[in-house]
Amino acid sequence: MKNINIYLLVSLLVVASSCIEETPRYYEFESYQFERMDEDGGTWKTFLVTDPSQISITTPSDVNSSEYQAELTQVKNQMSGLNTGQRAVIRYWTNNPVLRWNEIALELAAKYNLIPGPNPDDTYTLPNPANPEGPPAFPFAHPPYTSRMLAYLSAAQFDALVVSWYYKFEYDRKSPYKVDDSIVPAYTTNEIPSYPSDGASIAQVSKEILTAMFPLEADYLEQKFQEHIVSLIQAGLNVPSDINAGLTIGTEVANLAKQRASSDGMSRAQTPKPVSDSIANAAFERFGWKWQNMETPQRPVGLTPLFGKVSMWNVPNVEEVRVGPPPAPGSVEFEKDAQELQRFANNLTTNQRRIANWWEDGVGSYTPPGHWNKFAKETIVKNKLNPLRSARVLAYMNTAIMDAGVACWDTKYYYHYPRPVETIPGFKTILGTPNFPAYTSGHSTFSASAAEVLSYFFPDDATKFKNWAMEAAMSRVYGGIHYRFDAEVGIKQGENVGKYAVNRAKSDGGN
Amino acid sequence: MNKLLPIILGLVASFLLHFKAQAQTPWDEVMMDRGEVCVALMYEHSSWDRYWEGDLIRGNANIGTFTRRMAMPMIAVGLTKKVNMIASLPYVGTKASGGTQVGQNGIQDLSVSAKIDWVQKRINGGRLLFLTNAHFNRPVGNYLSDYMPFSIGFGAPEIGLRGIGGYKMDNGLVFRASFAYLWRGQTEIERDYYYQNGSVYSRFMNVPNALNFHGAIGYWAFDNRLRMEATFMSLNCLSGDDIRAYNRPQPTNKMEVSQVGAWVQYYIKSDRGLGALAYFNQTVSGRNMGRGSTIGLGLTYQFNAY
Repeated sequence: MKNINIYLLVSLLVVASSCIEETPRYYEFESYQFERMDEDGGTWKTFLVTDPSQISITTPSDVNSSEYQAELTQVKNQMSGLNTGQRAVIRYWTNNPVLRWNEIALELAAKYNLIPGPNPDDTYTLPNPANPEGPPAFPFAHPPYTSRMLAYLSAAQFDALVVSWYYKFEYDRKSPYKVDDSIVPAYTTNEIPSYPSDGASIAQVSKEILTAMFPLEADYLEQKFQEHIVSLIQAGLNVPSDINAGLTIGTEVANLAKQRASSDGMSRAQTPKPVSDSIANAAFERFGWKWQNMETPQRPVGLTPLFGKVSMWNVPNVEEVRVGPPPAPGSVEFEKDAQELQRFANNLTTNQRRIANWWEDGVGSYTPPGHWNKFAKETIVKNKLNPLRSARVLAYMNTAIMDAGVACWDTKYYYHYPRPVETIPGFKTILGTPNFPAYTSGHSTFSASAAEVLSYFFPDDATKFKNWAMEAAMSRVYGGIHYRFDAEVGIKQGENVGKYAVNRAKSDGGN
Repeated sequence: MNKLLPIILGLVASFLLHFKAQAQTPWDEVMMDRGEVCVALMYEHSSWDRYWEGDLIRGNANIGTFTRRMAMPMIAVGLTKKVNMIASLPYVGTKASGGTQVGQNGIQDLSVSAKIDWVQKRINGGRLLFLTNAHFNRPVGNYLSDYMPFSIGFGAPEIGLRGIGGYKMDNGLVFRASFAYLWRGQTEIERDYYYQNGSVYSRFMNVPNALNFHGAIGYWAFDNRLRMEATFMSLNCLSGDDIRAYNRPQPTNKMEVSQVGAWVQYYIKSDRGLGALAYFNQTVSGRNMGRGSTIGLGLTYQFNAY
């Protein structure tokens, strides 16, 4: 009997440890053959740069010059005798590092997506960019903040690559491995010229944008940057002068992005209490209702009441995409949707619960914009897009997502509509109720705009993207924090905003 | 506890004969003879209004007072005099007095354990004891572990191996220490991305392994029909992350807790038939846990089945 017990225990341990699932820290994919080169990529329309020629880089030396040959020797020296750790770093960055920098951005979003708690005297302190250490630390990477961070990152990455492509095909200097047969690159080869280095321009622009958005992460980002730059040489992709030219482009484009960001209105989005109160009172006078924060202690100001005034990317004026009013609390239409919420709360199915949690993307996560970036990344790899085309997808999607956020926030604070926990007595939810008005649903607008853009770039998967957006919208209804009309109108609003980005993409030269 | 005292005193007053007392837990030295079966029904109520966020003790008005209630049927069977099996299946419900989020109710984890009596050795006026207990727990039902602090459990299988050493003196005093290594598996969650000192792209969370210590000084009175113990319990996860600032906990957290408590058990007339037990625990230190106090009540019924 005693032996049986020990035998049982050992076999249980063996069985249990054999069914452990992986918990990866990043998306694992191998370098791949790009589906095309896009020789004309340098002519595509950009977001921040007026014309690629406004950024100048030096004319590269010829591959037969002694100068270049010396660089080549340097590359070969660095490539010889790589250790396991160095090889792992090269494998990590892959030949599409746009996706890695996007992943780093999502990780920082999740790290900083923490809502400041109350002080002992029941007041709240807001994160302050002038004192990023806090407490609370700056930023609070909530969905509007994260949508804007990703929009700047992706737009700047795209522009940096358009400029890189412009010079690549102007100077047409081959990759080290095309010049010298003895160099065996770490990744799948391609015919894209290597001067300037697209990898270096991505590394530089990403580091600078992310450091501006997450100032406490400067050291971490510098370390990632150095690691990436070294990997470009060690992988046999670039010689040092390729990299230097790429860095110049990255710096110039990042400056343009930071310039735009400094005056886009974001610094005024989180208003003082008197402004916030006057916005609430304006809605109350107009409609007869207003939203209130239900936390204890009550937060004096909702999340970014003036995010609706932040400059948009693809929509000329936010009022063009403002939706009509929601049904008044107490109306027949309202009661129908409020009763539905109570029905869900009392009889939530396992699948509805799963949907609510799957899409929660709440505090501590990479937010709904982050979720759609994850889908975009996987779809980009599936379709074997080159870095330029990847950046294009992300730039249009993330500018659309931010525009959707701006449109949604404009609507939210214009109508100032109360949440279900305010209008339904005793109502309790499985999701936390966010600190801003209900109508329209942020998840719905973010998701519908992203689905609209992704469906344009990847028509084969359009049905899937649109279904996901609908599911994301309904997840908030299952979770008890949105009425069905918040979700359904939010979807329409998001689709509408997404169409502006799609129309722009249709004429950017990339088709 | 106050309500309990008259009941205990009443039971004590009604004692009659001397018997060998039973009704056991996986961490004590109690064994039953072959064919003996003990069924028990336990009720436990615990609450906290402050919790440790990492090592920072704090309140949260959006939780207010957190309450957890548990009803647990339990059965112990004497397979042989040296090998006993214990199984239990709790039903747990949680709620918070503050905030707008709903609690969770449901059947938690099935636990099956085998206790083996290895050593019983007489040493000056007492018996030196050594036992082991191996257990396996697994969630039943589909409660969501990734809904903390409301989740009723951590949602992962657990295998534990425990050594129990004790010295039981003929005058009724008992000294006991038990030490367990708890191997925890993964819990399946309803999202495929979460943050644990960095991004994790998975639908699974690793629940940290833990060490568990139980210590007791007990006294068996009235011919082994009344058992009283002063207890100490600690549980320390060996890895895991801290709850982030004003964020919710998650099953990956490094939880630590130590509790002091008392345990009283009484057998109404013999080693057969009805018994009652009551216990109280107070958390004295912790990490990523509520600073809770717990009272538990139970009825036991023992009979010879074969």
